[in-house]
Amino acid sequence: MSNFNTILLECDNISKQFGFFFALNKISFQLDESSILGVIGANGAGKTTLIRILSGLISPTSGKIIIKGKNYKTDDKSIRKIIGTITNKSFLYEELTIYENLKFFSKLYSIYDKSTFKDKIEHYTEKFNLSNWIFEPISNLSNGMKQKVEIIRILIQNPSILLLDEPFSGLDFNTIKLLVKILIDLKEKDKLTIVIATHKIEVVQEISDTILILKKGKISKFAPIKEIDKNKIESYY
Amino acid sequence: MKTPKKPAKSYRKLFITILQKDIKSEIRQINDIFSIILFGIISIFIFSSAYNTVNLGVRMPIEIFVIQIWLIIFFTLIFIMIKLFVQEKEKGTLYGLTSSPVSNSVLLISKAVFCFILLSFIELILILFSFFISIPSIQSLNLNEFLLYIMIGIILPTLDLSICGTLVSALSMYSKNKSFVLPLLLFPIILPITSPIISLNIKLLEGELISMIVIELLFLLAHAILMFSILIFVSDELLSE
Repeated sequence: MSNFNTILLECDNISKQFGFFFALNKISFQLDESSILGVIGANGAGKTTLIRILSGLISPTSGKIIIKGKNYKTDDKSIRKIIGTITNKSFLYEELTIYENLKFFSKLYSIYDKSTFKDKIEHYTEKFNLSNWIFEPISNLSNGMKQKVEIIRILIQNPSILLLDEPFSGLDFNTIKLLVKILIDLKEKDKLTIVIATHKIEVVQEISDTILILKKGKISKFAPIKEIDKNKIESYY
Repeated sequence: MKTPKKPAKSYRKLFITILQKDIKSEIRQINDIFSIILFGIISIFIFSSAYNTVNLGVRMPIEIFVIQIWLIIFFTLIFIMIKLFVQEKEKGTLYGLTSSPVSNSVLLISKAVFCFILLSFIELILILFSFFISIPSIQSLNLNEFLLYIMIGIILPTLDLSICGTLVSALSMYSKNKSFVLPLLLFPIILPITSPIISLNIKLLEGELISMIVIELLFLLAHAILMFSILIFVSDELLSE
């Protein structure tokens, strides 16, 4: 948005068609480094499709995505390494412990280092109050704890951009509050760029720098949060 | 300056990582394997008791023994196929794999090897069990011939079936009616090899020379190579939604 910051993510005329239906229709926007973009919209507006395209789970029908100066079409593998994704379905294996899951994902991203891994895990689990649960299977954890493990999973990847699809669904008020604090910390201290697709307008208003409102697959509004009248957000739906 | 990792070495590491994860997960859900084995054992009992009702005290002919074994193995394969991709897709964990920088072909090969290991383990138990329960009329099979039977009659077809199973499991995971599509797609793919597998097993258990099974052997090898090539060539299309 500003001229002084580096552009981390650039979407140029992204469209996604399922049969005759356009889930996304010519979406274009740019996102700066170390900023939070809140993506909101009614059900079926295209929020999840946008996150899935950005995370590489599905390919756009047309358009171009540039992340850190690299084109998704030509640098697929290296872009995936710098993206951390959390969707409404957990990537964690329920029967494996927190430690085993994190070890598996760090190996998957080729960042596993035997000498430092244990310290890294201890650091993050302590930070997220999960120290006593490291060797517990994921199935024994609450939803809030699982979401924290998901965040640790992406943090150990050391990504440049986090893509979150409905990260607050099924969580109680206190856990949402805690996650919001964690996300703000990640943006401010770790300089991460975060894209959040959610229905929770109040959370988006609280943490986003920029807001993207989707309506029937098209951009209805894209502007810095301070330029938007908070009482009129729903009128863009 | 650090030398960059060789791709083959990193592919091998990733392959082992995914395989280890699958085996570990499976061990933690041991009840699933137990129920598959139980299904096999019950099937062997039904076959044996049905045969013994009419032919009391007569050993089971090799033809019936082989058909019994492979019928159970084909059904076991369908159970395992559901575990490969369909369950991962349903749980959402598949997206963790497909959004990672791991190449789709590495992912598919590790799943095929996992299918092979799991199927071989279940087969081992069921074949040993059926030898004691069904008592097939095998005349004089020495150790070498028995090992040859295991290698060519069991392991080679199992490898071929594992590749076919992985291919079909990946093909059907995005369809709406998976339980219908899965066996429907598997049927035409394994149909050409059912007859050579049965023939190969009967000939090997009858102690025939290897020169007598060359055609079946070559056919199975060719089928396995063809299926593996398809699996690798279409890996990106198979795993993209």
